[in-house]
Amino acid sequence: MPIVTIDDRQVEVDAGTNLIEAALGVGVQIPHYCYHPRLTVVGQCRMCLVKVEGMPKLQAGCSTQVVKDGMVVRTDTPDVKEAQRAMMEFLLVNHPLDCPICDQAGECALQDYSFKHGMATSRARFEDKRVYSGRERIPLGPSVVLNMNRCIQCTRCVRFTAEVAGTGELGFLQRGARAEIGTFPGRELDNDLSTCVVDICPVGALTSTRFRFAERVWNLDKKPSLCTGCDNGCNVTLEHRRGDIKRYKPRYNPDVNDYWMCDYGRSTFERYAELPRMLVPRQIKEGQRVPVSWDEAVDSFHHRLRGRTEGATMFLGSGFLTTEEAYLLAKIADHLGTPHRAVWVGESKPFHIPNTHGGITARDAAPNRRGAELAGMAPREGGLDAARLLANGAGDAGVLVVADSDFGPGAHDPETVARLRRARVLVVLGWADTPLAQAADLTLPVATHAEKEGTFVNGQQRLQRFRRAFPSTGEALPLVEVLATVLKKLDPSWQPATAGEVFDHMAASVPAFHGLTWKHVPPTGVPMPEARAAVVG
Amino acid sequence: MATTSPIKIGVVGEAVLLRNVGKPEALTVDGYRQRGGYKALEKALAMDPAAITETVKASGLRGRGGAGFPTGMKWSFVPKDPGKQKYLVVNADESEPGTFKDRVLMEHDPHQLIEGSAMCCRAVGASVCYIYIRGEYVEAGDILERAIADAYAKGVLGKDVLGSGFQLDMVVHRGAGAYICGEETGLLESLEGKRGQPRVKPPFPAVVGAFGMPTVINNVETLCCVPHILERGPEWFKAIGTDERNTGPKLYAVSGHVEKPGTYEVPIGITFHELLDLCGGVWKGRALKAFIPGGASAPVLLEKDRHIKLDFDTLAKAGTMLGSAAVMVMDETASMLQVAKRSAKFFNHESCGQCTPCREGTNWLEVLLTHASHGEATVQEVDLVPIVAKQIGGNSLCALGDAAAMGVGPILEKFRDEIVAEMKEAAARGPVHGPAAHGVAGRPTLPVLHGV
Amino acid sequence: MPAAARVKLDELRKLYPTERALLLPALHLAQKHWGGWLPEEAILAVAAELGLPPAEVYGVVTFYDLYHEKPVGRHRIRVCTNVPCMLRGSAELMTALGEALGVEENEVTPDDRCSYTHFECLGACEQAPMMMVDDTYHGDLDAEKVKAIVAGLE
Repeated sequence: MPIVTIDDRQVEVDAGTNLIEAALGVGVQIPHYCYHPRLTVVGQCRMCLVKVEGMPKLQAGCSTQVVKDGMVVRTDTPDVKEAQRAMMEFLLVNHPLDCPICDQAGECALQDYSFKHGMATSRARFEDKRVYSGRERIPLGPSVVLNMNRCIQCTRCVRFTAEVAGTGELGFLQRGARAEIGTFPGRELDNDLSTCVVDICPVGALTSTRFRFAERVWNLDKKPSLCTGCDNGCNVTLEHRRGDIKRYKPRYNPDVNDYWMCDYGRSTFERYAELPRMLVPRQIKEGQRVPVSWDEAVDSFHHRLRGRTEGATMFLGSGFLTTEEAYLLAKIADHLGTPHRAVWVGESKPFHIPNTHGGITARDAAPNRRGAELAGMAPREGGLDAARLLANGAGDAGVLVVADSDFGPGAHDPETVARLRRARVLVVLGWADTPLAQAADLTLPVATHAEKEGTFVNGQQRLQRFRRAFPSTGEALPLVEVLATVLKKLDPSWQPATAGEVFDHMAASVPAFHGLTWKHVPPTGVPMPEARAAVVG
Repeated sequence: MATTSPIKIGVVGEAVLLRNVGKPEALTVDGYRQRGGYKALEKALAMDPAAITETVKASGLRGRGGAGFPTGMKWSFVPKDPGKQKYLVVNADESEPGTFKDRVLMEHDPHQLIEGSAMCCRAVGASVCYIYIRGEYVEAGDILERAIADAYAKGVLGKDVLGSGFQLDMVVHRGAGAYICGEETGLLESLEGKRGQPRVKPPFPAVVGAFGMPTVINNVETLCCVPHILERGPEWFKAIGTDERNTGPKLYAVSGHVEKPGTYEVPIGITFHELLDLCGGVWKGRALKAFIPGGASAPVLLEKDRHIKLDFDTLAKAGTMLGSAAVMVMDETASMLQVAKRSAKFFNHESCGQCTPCREGTNWLEVLLTHASHGEATVQEVDLVPIVAKQIGGNSLCALGDAAAMGVGPILEKFRDEIVAEMKEAAARGPVHGPAAHGVAGRPTLPVLHGV
Repeated sequence: MPAAARVKLDELRKLYPTERALLLPALHLAQKHWGGWLPEEAILAVAAELGLPPAEVYGVVTFYDLYHEKPVGRHRIRVCTNVPCMLRGSAELMTALGEALGVEENEVTPDDRCSYTHFECLGACEQAPMMMVDDTYHGDLDAEKVKAIVAGLE
């Protein structure tokens, strides 16, 4: 592997590595707009010009490769700095002074490079700035709005729709100073990955319809998390302001979603604000659904589980359960000796996220059916599966525990609610106050996935761990905590109380998870050792 | 059917490249043969292909499209890999302002081009030749197509060229109006059916060219020299011209303020003074103010430079270039401000828009010079023009940025005081508002209140 | 795409390794068929014929000066105003055309007969000032000659 010297520091790289990537190896960030590791190199923006010893003109770092030993590069010479200044000046001759109203402010490459490499004054006349009449706020489709005046013609978006999404809705139109990006007249930018162009646009030319004017980015707390829209398990950055989620952005994971995520996934956090939250435990007393304390609620739950009423005890979960929650539910079910435990999951649209190993395609409309079933929430011999449970099984249930008040449309559908209500005792744990929750004898409010930690196993049998982004609301608690408390009442020898402790206990006892430890789940996840359980994988 | 263009040529010594101008019989294979044509091709087909390249190398032939790259060396960059598809693309895009010599060659002597192209294909192993001709040259394209059809009919093209077993297909591919398609990689992109946006180099076309395959791109005039080099020998070619790096007969396209604009065939390295004489001198008895030796991309020269030799190296040493040998002459009444502005407008219009310095810089140049032309720029803005030009040059993705810088900047540098004076006169006549007073953006500019 | 154009394209297919390479020839053929310009339906027809995304074809159409997105006159006039022609009086030609046709540059005369525009160097500087009318070059012009040529256009 050849060694290149950049600013007097040496680094060894794969042959064919371009200078922008190579420089990262010595902690040098060569400024650039048009280059993106997943798009063809075009060398257009000219921001990445650097000095390569032996070449008279400055070279574009993105299109210059290290192929053999001996290359010497400088990113800090007066010529390089002058070129950077000149490129910044050129871009700002026509770029509008929109920062005060532009979404991109605070995460804008033009701002950042202007500050670092540009000028403090302008030599061009403000009134000479180019204007694309009528193209200042054009919806390109349902998800993306274009302000063509802000565009710096880097063509990342055009290359993205051609090469990554494969849909080709965007073209580079006209020529020269009038060049613009756009669709064929009357057609829209509308594919599963449309909003990714907003992520990769270095400036505020492309903005997200969903996020437009929603929040200043410096007010956002940014936490790594996972999308729960389907079983692809895309890594996201969850961006919130005091517990109010404003945006999901894809988080780089080369083994799952690469740099991308789908438009639908970006919308999934909105549900947390759209549906009413359950804030306190409630119990039906004398026909009224009244708030009770957690102690009373847990006691009541325990009592109903213990109480040998007629009929079986059944556990219905959803694909939104974390692996640890599912394991605890299964352990409770085991302790009670019931075979009836199942996970209901809807079918997802086949959202396909390209990555460097052929991409991933969604099947389930929830993140963790696999993890839940591997952890024990698949029916045992003689147990009802989710479909039968939902159809008519509840009628035979002495106690039906539904661990997800929003497991799917059924939670909102009067018929399904009525069918589940046929259980003698209905206990619902969840975060949303759905019609199903309102029909329950006992409801226990729990945290959303943003408010807890846990693991999911995605459609490619990859286990990924996610962390809590912010504390939960009202008196809602993480479901793991609630279940651990209940399990301890049933089985005083039970110790594990946190998600981590539960995971390690599970890894020791469930063969599918052997060899894994909570602490050592890598940031980009880990393939499941051997997913051979009797589940549809 | 011959061209309808008026014949405006001149020759010093023997007419080699222009020998068939005004001889419509040369438009057919038979007629061309009768006038001595296709002998060189026969000779080349009997040679080892590598020897053809060596012969061209030995002649010192340099590209006549603008870059002046040694032709033989370019051919030798094509990999010898016999299994690989290779192409010759003839650059007949001729769009450098002031240039029309290729048009004359194609209109009057299409077979000379076909013959030279076939010899190049034989040398490098190309089996397909695309003649990329600018879309505006409708008549020249038609003449070429008829000549090619005749060549196929007479076995000069097709499966078995002149019975040699060599296979060659040739087709005319018409452009659609873009100067940037004269840039070799812009041309390749356009040939491939895309926007004519130049590519990053390396890789170079000789290795990765048309459709990813090794490709030679040569100018029309360059290829027209090849039959003569093979037939009469490289020494003959080398003996004409200035020295062994500036060889052969050269076509100069002279235009502007001269009595007899036209295409002149003379040994390369003629002085401008001698060439001007051939053209009947500056028109209307006026005095010479300035001349541009090599198309709009070449830095302007002054009256005092009139004895300069118009070859590659002499002009390069003088800080300008031979380029396409399009010599534009300006008399004492010419407004250098208008010339600069019109050139800036040209480069702005033709910029493909990919790269920041050219897209934004050429626009800014036109805007600044338009303000100046309307008498409402500051002197600082006039002085900004060569500074902006220098910011474009050397930083752009392709040579158009450099061309804009070289075509515009030196005019301002050499005629600064005259331009400032002209601007003040325009200001005195009253600044112009309304549609004429804007740059590309299309919005009227406010008058500049601080004084000129 | 009209049948005649398809026949021509089929011949060309033998000489090019990709469908995309036929785009410029296809657009020239389409433009001729659609009265000298390329309405949306023409662009879509070409895109469909070659299997290319419409946005890409649209990007190509709008890049080049000889493809017209708006209607043009039956006769298209292009006046070179670049430096050599400018030096020999191209401004006069533009004025003469405005007077003879009664429209501004890039407008079409009410009877759809003519439209004119200034253009970049057409490679006929030895005949400056000059203009291109449809596919033909006319050089060594002045205002009178321009008006005579225009008068003869139907």
